[in-house]
Amino acid sequence: MPIELKNVDYVYDSGEPFEYFALRGINVRIDEGSFVGIVGRTGSGKSTLVEHLNGLLFSSHGEVLVDGLTLSRDRKVLSSVRRKVGIVFQYPEDQFFAETIFEEIAFGCRNYGFSKEQIDTSVQKAMTIVGLDPGRFLSLSPFQLSGGEQRRVAIASVIAMGQKYIVLDEPTAGLDSGSKLTVLGELESLRQSSNVTVILVSHNMDEVAEFCERVIVLDEGSVAFQGSTEEFFRSADLVNRTGLELPQSYRLARALKDSGCTLPVDESSSDRFLDSLHSWLADSGVR
Amino acid sequence: MAMSRSFVLGQHYPGVSVIHRAGALAKLTATIILMVAVFVATRTPQYLPLALVLGAGILLSGIPLRFFVRGLKPIVFLIVLTVVVQMFFTPGTTLWSWWFLRITREGVVLALFILCRLVLLTLTSVLLTASTSPIELTDAIADFLKPLSRVGIPSAEIALVMSIAMRFVPTILEETERIVRAQVSRGAKIGEGSLVARMKGFIPILIPLFVSSFRRADDLAVAMEARGFRVGSERTRYHERHFGSIDVCVLVASGIALAGVMLWRLFL
Repeated sequence: MPIELKNVDYVYDSGEPFEYFALRGINVRIDEGSFVGIVGRTGSGKSTLVEHLNGLLFSSHGEVLVDGLTLSRDRKVLSSVRRKVGIVFQYPEDQFFAETIFEEIAFGCRNYGFSKEQIDTSVQKAMTIVGLDPGRFLSLSPFQLSGGEQRRVAIASVIAMGQKYIVLDEPTAGLDSGSKLTVLGELESLRQSSNVTVILVSHNMDEVAEFCERVIVLDEGSVAFQGSTEEFFRSADLVNRTGLELPQSYRLARALKDSGCTLPVDESSSDRFLDSLHSWLADSGVR
Repeated sequence: MAMSRSFVLGQHYPGVSVIHRAGALAKLTATIILMVAVFVATRTPQYLPLALVLGAGILLSGIPLRFFVRGLKPIVFLIVLTVVVQMFFTPGTTLWSWWFLRITREGVVLALFILCRLVLLTLTSVLLTASTSPIELTDAIADFLKPLSRVGIPSAEIALVMSIAMRFVPTILEETERIVRAQVSRGAKIGEGSLVARMKGFIPILIPLFVSSFRRADDLAVAMEARGFRVGSERTRYHERHFGSIDVCVLVASGIALAGVMLWRLFL
């Protein structure tokens, strides 16, 4: 079952002179088990859209369906939707409050009434997924970690709840490039192993090209494109028009092509670009 | 964001009227003069010149009257209490009596007088805070406190602390919203359940808020020092205010009100 948004508008100060459409006529479908990117320039409505997915905001018009259930202010509906959709906000380490990392990660599980054993296993599992050794970290204070480790704890605190959909709002902002790739790689393997749907909000087009099969492109509160990531980045005009940049690999492939060089490279991501270059070099006997 | 958009800081009602454009220092001084006038008067009719000046100020400010009525709400209880006490417990000629209750002529006169006094005092301060932004007001208070620095009271620093506090109220509100959203997404139940559960529910909000406020304070201190801020040095202002003709008018008007009250008290 997917998450669907049907004709969703979100209006600030509806009916007032300063009425402002943050979202306008959004029709979006996010399939179960996919890795979807939500991109768009600053102020295009990404965060507003994300907050509709678990009922932090309610659409002014239109409806949001999570696994066929229409979101409403009804307490039962809300708690069942929040049980399914987890959100890792920007700079999630700002929400830390517990004395130990264990308590921090267990917070969500406790709120959803996990048993003691379930909490223990979920916390350990979540920590392993984000690459933190439970034996070493469990009893430390979350405040004494490095920035990258804090981010992992914050992500683990959402993953531990075992939700079907995980939304991450710029999970790699402020991380060094090594941590960026590992954090996203971990999410990808979580998706493969547990069929979790990952929804990534990002400004980094290289990340998006590398990990997202599909993208939803927002521009001034409307959907400017929705479909395969490759298809989007191949239409350079659209990328420009929506205020975004091409990923490095696409730019390099383009520069090569413009200079008359016809290498058979796969530009769909930096990694795949390098791989294809390597195999071409190997095939043509260059060492 | 929804909350911060609808949140009006303090009692400020932004506008572009003459009263809004007048300097905060002039308005603060005028307010003090008007308040002196309120206390100088000894009988209700003497409030006439004061009420006229204040009424003119309120009309010129273009602030809706209901805003002023709202400003009176917090003191309704105080007004009712004092009026009742004055009416019933002032000795004099009896107008009306029942069992042990007795209303005197003198009581009614005094009650009316106190009523006017409280209402005028409140309206004066509401006009000041409604037409002046908190930042302008703290600047004006800093100017007022300035002479105190001669006797060793760090007036500039006190004013700075006040304006920083004002500046961060909306920021911290926004931060609170952000944290609430994050914790709610982690299944936190805020404002639900028993009293103990509710209190416990605040911990995941308060602690992150404290942590971020301390970090913000730290960052701010570093940023200020990096831009050459030193405690105790003479500073200039971004919004340099010069005494303008509006300021003179405001002061003259309040002076007229005070003089009117005094003359009336002496000769009528």
